Amino acid sequence: MTTSTATRSPAETRLIEAFYRLFSPSRNGEPGFLRNLRNEAIDCFQSLGFPGKKDEAWKYTSLSGVLREPLTVQEQCDPPASVHGIAGLDAHTGVFVGDTRSDSLSSLASLPEGVIVSSLTSAPPALVAAHLGQHATISGRAFVALNTAFLRNGAFVYMPDGTVCEQPIHIVHALTGAGATLAQPRTLVVAGTGAQLRLIETVEAHLSGSSLINGVTEIFVGPDAHVSRFEIQDPANHISVVSTLDVYQNGGSHFQNNTFTFGGNVMRNNINMLPDAEGCETLLHGLFIARGHSHIDNHTLVDHAKPRCFSSENYRGILDGHATGVFNGKVLVRQDAQQINAYQTNKSIVLANTARMYAKPELEIYADDVKCSHGATTGQLNEEALFYLRSRGLTLSQARTLMLQAFARDIIEKVPLQPLRDALDQRVAAGLMH
Amino acid sequence: MNTDTQYLHEVAASDYEHGWVTEVVSDTIPKGLSEDIIRLIASKKQDPDWMLENRLRAFRYWQKLEAADQRPNWAHLSIPAIDFQNISYYSAPGSKPKYESLEEVDPEILRTFERLGIPLQEQKLLAGVAVDAVIDSVSVATSFKEELSQLGIIFCSFTEAIEKHPELVQKYMGSVVPYTDNFYAALNAAVFSDGSFCYIPPGVRCPMELSTYFRINEAGTGQFERTLIVADKGSYVSYLEGCTAPRRDDNQLHAAVVEIIAHEDAEVKYSTIQNWYPGDSGGTGGVFNFVTKRGICLEDRAKISWTQLETGSSITWKYPSVILKGDNTKGEFYSVAFTKGRQQADTGTKMLHLGRNTSSTIISKGISAGRSSNSYRGLVRINRKADNARNFSQCDSMLLGDRCGAHTFPYLETSNPTAQVEHEATTSKVGEDQIFYCKQRGISEQDAIKLIVSGFCQEILAKLPMEFAVEARKLLAIELEGSVG
Amino acid sequence: MTPVLEVKNLKASVEGLPILKGVDLTVYAGELHAIMGPNGSGKSTLASVLAGREEYEVNGGTVLYQGEDLLEMEVDERAREGLFMAFQYPVELPGVSMMNFLKQAVNSVREHRGQKPLGAAALLRMAKEKAALINLDSRLKKRSVNEGFSGGEKKRNEIFQLAMLDPRLAILDETDSGLDIDALRSVADGVNVLRTDDRAFVVITHYQRLLNHIVPDYVHVMYDGRIVLSGNKELALQLEARGYDWVSQEAVPA
Repeated sequence: MTTSTATRSPAETRLIEAFYRLFSPSRNGEPGFLRNLRNEAIDCFQSLGFPGKKDEAWKYTSLSGVLREPLTVQEQCDPPASVHGIAGLDAHTGVFVGDTRSDSLSSLASLPEGVIVSSLTSAPPALVAAHLGQHATISGRAFVALNTAFLRNGAFVYMPDGTVCEQPIHIVHALTGAGATLAQPRTLVVAGTGAQLRLIETVEAHLSGSSLINGVTEIFVGPDAHVSRFEIQDPANHISVVSTLDVYQNGGSHFQNNTFTFGGNVMRNNINMLPDAEGCETLLHGLFIARGHSHIDNHTLVDHAKPRCFSSENYRGILDGHATGVFNGKVLVRQDAQQINAYQTNKSIVLANTARMYAKPELEIYADDVKCSHGATTGQLNEEALFYLRSRGLTLSQARTLMLQAFARDIIEKVPLQPLRDALDQRVAAGLMH
Repeated sequence: MNTDTQYLHEVAASDYEHGWVTEVVSDTIPKGLSEDIIRLIASKKQDPDWMLENRLRAFRYWQKLEAADQRPNWAHLSIPAIDFQNISYYSAPGSKPKYESLEEVDPEILRTFERLGIPLQEQKLLAGVAVDAVIDSVSVATSFKEELSQLGIIFCSFTEAIEKHPELVQKYMGSVVPYTDNFYAALNAAVFSDGSFCYIPPGVRCPMELSTYFRINEAGTGQFERTLIVADKGSYVSYLEGCTAPRRDDNQLHAAVVEIIAHEDAEVKYSTIQNWYPGDSGGTGGVFNFVTKRGICLEDRAKISWTQLETGSSITWKYPSVILKGDNTKGEFYSVAFTKGRQQADTGTKMLHLGRNTSSTIISKGISAGRSSNSYRGLVRINRKADNARNFSQCDSMLLGDRCGAHTFPYLETSNPTAQVEHEATTSKVGEDQIFYCKQRGISEQDAIKLIVSGFCQEILAKLPMEFAVEARKLLAIELEGSVG
Repeated sequence: MTPVLEVKNLKASVEGLPILKGVDLTVYAGELHAIMGPNGSGKSTLASVLAGREEYEVNGGTVLYQGEDLLEMEVDERAREGLFMAFQYPVELPGVSMMNFLKQAVNSVREHRGQKPLGAAALLRMAKEKAALINLDSRLKKRSVNEGFSGGEKKRNEIFQLAMLDPRLAILDETDSGLDIDALRSVADGVNVLRTDDRAFVVITHYQRLLNHIVPDYVHVMYDGRIVLSGNKELALQLEARGYDWVSQEAVPA
């Protein structure tokens, strides 16, 4: 798979050159492990190159249009005047401008004892070294390698053993810049034994050109810890996103991820769960509304490596205009990972004859004492229900919106935070307006 | 639990019934593949020029793919490197490339088919089934030809069809599976030596099941047959295919092509019992079954239905598909795939919805035992203009052991807002509570497992024509049996 | 006369949790014993242990079945020896036809008894007879075992199998649960027809109402893993009137 210089695309060449310009000679005061991570990552990226249509994982999604833009690696980032946050939500907010925490924009005064929300470079180095790049591995993964190759700083969240954070922690990645930019936010979350955390991640991008945000979040969930994550993706139509989430779960832990995607150009989410000990519970929820020319692709993997775990996955999508939706959900049950219960459903509604949906739910099972199932449907709104609503005086458009909101609510109601739920409801309503 | 495990081990190790060899002198050409070999095959077959041209065109295309290393590698299979120069591409038993009557056939070959339960002598003909028997590269006998021809039905070997009905062969051959379709389709188009041809004229309902029985006998050979079925307007035919091969330590290649054309209001039902030699429990030997099967519902209201019981072959790579081109057409795929030992199967279907109001149904049951790997792979594509398309797919897998794999890879591609696509899949092992229930009624654990597994497949076996269903049940029972006496 | 069933000081647990704490029960041929008791008292556990469910661990005591050690026998061996359990939740066997299932079950029992296996025709005749005997809708025989059956149909199918397998001891585990009054009567009628001098019944039930239709010879009350009260059918009426709380007060710890 090694790409020789001859076959390297201009985008690849540009990025590799940028790496050597930025990082040679080595930067002062940086810990050695970070430099090592970067060097390994650039080597990895050089040998992989960007994935193309021939890669099964990229069969339905092409970034070639995005990568044709002369993307500039973001080196520094001016702070925005303000960040929006989520109306009515009482949260500890850590705002990261580019890759560094902004003290003036953050509000973290009331964090519980021992909890850290900081830049990676200001965090305890031993903790960072033990986890950074350990869960979001680069092997065979070009976008994680690319993110890691340019990794200088990022967001860090630490929950010591047994701590409970009542209010959610909201990480805002504020990205500003002119021209076609490659921005690569990075987040590391470490939740100790029995810790409880609700984490919201959003990106507020003020990037004027056709930019690509290549974000990576890695989460270590300690034994018996409970972590829920909520990611809301709502970029402008000229911005594309590749977002990778890698989660390592310890025994008895509970992890829930919720991804909501409303806009953007090409949107690709890679979600990889590794429940690596007995008694884990893993829940993956997703909702996307694709309109215009949006292309929204959700790739998920639940890698059941150990016995007696439970996973459940529920994704819903609404497609209109010229939009394309992709869902590829894979449940892998490894040999000897007995007594796994794994469920997956994916439902999509296609509203326009110029919209498309590709669903690929996969089961790959190597243990026999399992109960696994998936279901996928693609269809349209129930005509009879529409007729019923119209017979009660609703216009066709009202009836449709009402039913689509109900369809979306199935995912939204899994969010335990009322203000966040309200914000999502409103966003869905706006997204469905014609 | 222990008896359970032990039984499953026995299942995994159970024996292959058709592993014997027919001792007959064969005309086998030297191993290797080149333009000269293609010309040699063509001359053995007494091909007309156009057929030789077809072969050469396909061969050159295949060469290009081979040079560019374009063997399909996307399936969930571990395929050893096949040396295509180490295979003989033509072998005729009894040194006859063509048989005019049964008298010419070596009695040893007739006995072969009798032993397989396919008697070819007229007095012993199976009631209601016309058979074309193909051994290695040659069709040895086709029964009931006269009776069928009175209805205008053509049922003969491919060789005879090329000779007597060249216009039909030229019109339809390659129209559904062109030689450019894939690596093995290209290979087949270059080297195929025989197969079955069937044409049902307008309005005719074929009064009996048509059947082809394929047997690989000679060592070091591959079998590359083609089947072409054309159902003209308003006609109906039910077609059966069975396959076996002797036990041999080296792998044998079977790369067949089946094409079905269903015209307006025509219906074709194609059933397969695939029982090629699966190799021994250690994974030595066995047939590589790389088959391209596809039908097209060319005009309105046509219907094509595939039913298969796959128990044999060391590697199966096979996706019987339907192109739903006409409006209101229907495609069906019903499959039971049973793997044990070190068998690998990657099988499923493609349903391509092009016309309006088209519908397709997919029901797939996979059973994995031993150290086998069993994958369902299916594509449902609803094209932009396929208004009101409907698809329902259900894929259930059952695991009989903790060292096998069961996988489901569906691809659902929808480009039309009026489509309804539904897919469901489950994977589980035989229920402990089901076994307990049967045992409480006095049924032994082994019998309970057999009963439950047959029940799991029942829905599919019920789709097979009567005579075939009996054979299928027997075969499945043998597969599940601890050992064969 | 040797009892059909003789349970002595039976103790059993599930996942380390003791459920049966010393059960004594003796049943002779021709008798029908009802075992009643509140939820969690151990009634169904007793049935499961007698049928041979693996998840229950026997920690002490003995069970003799027709004078033989029942606990030493495999599940299917017990069935072939004539022990039948009507399940509280009969399992569905998708795709397995009733007749195919019965053929295997009946013939394995017959073979064990040294009888000739029945051919398809004889079996059908027998099935028709027995179905008529218990008023079973003959269409049920044509379906897959319990698949898509209603609750009442499943329970009646259990009684039908009882009739087909001709057991010495039939254990009915909450056969009345979830049944409306018509279905209950129909199941009870089936049981009554099948009561013979050489067959014993152990009927496990939470409610007295079944016993209005199946009149027991003996009634036992289980509480906290033991049989704490035994009597005749009057005891069932008393329980109905006074509830199980009364038992918990009456019950003297052993």
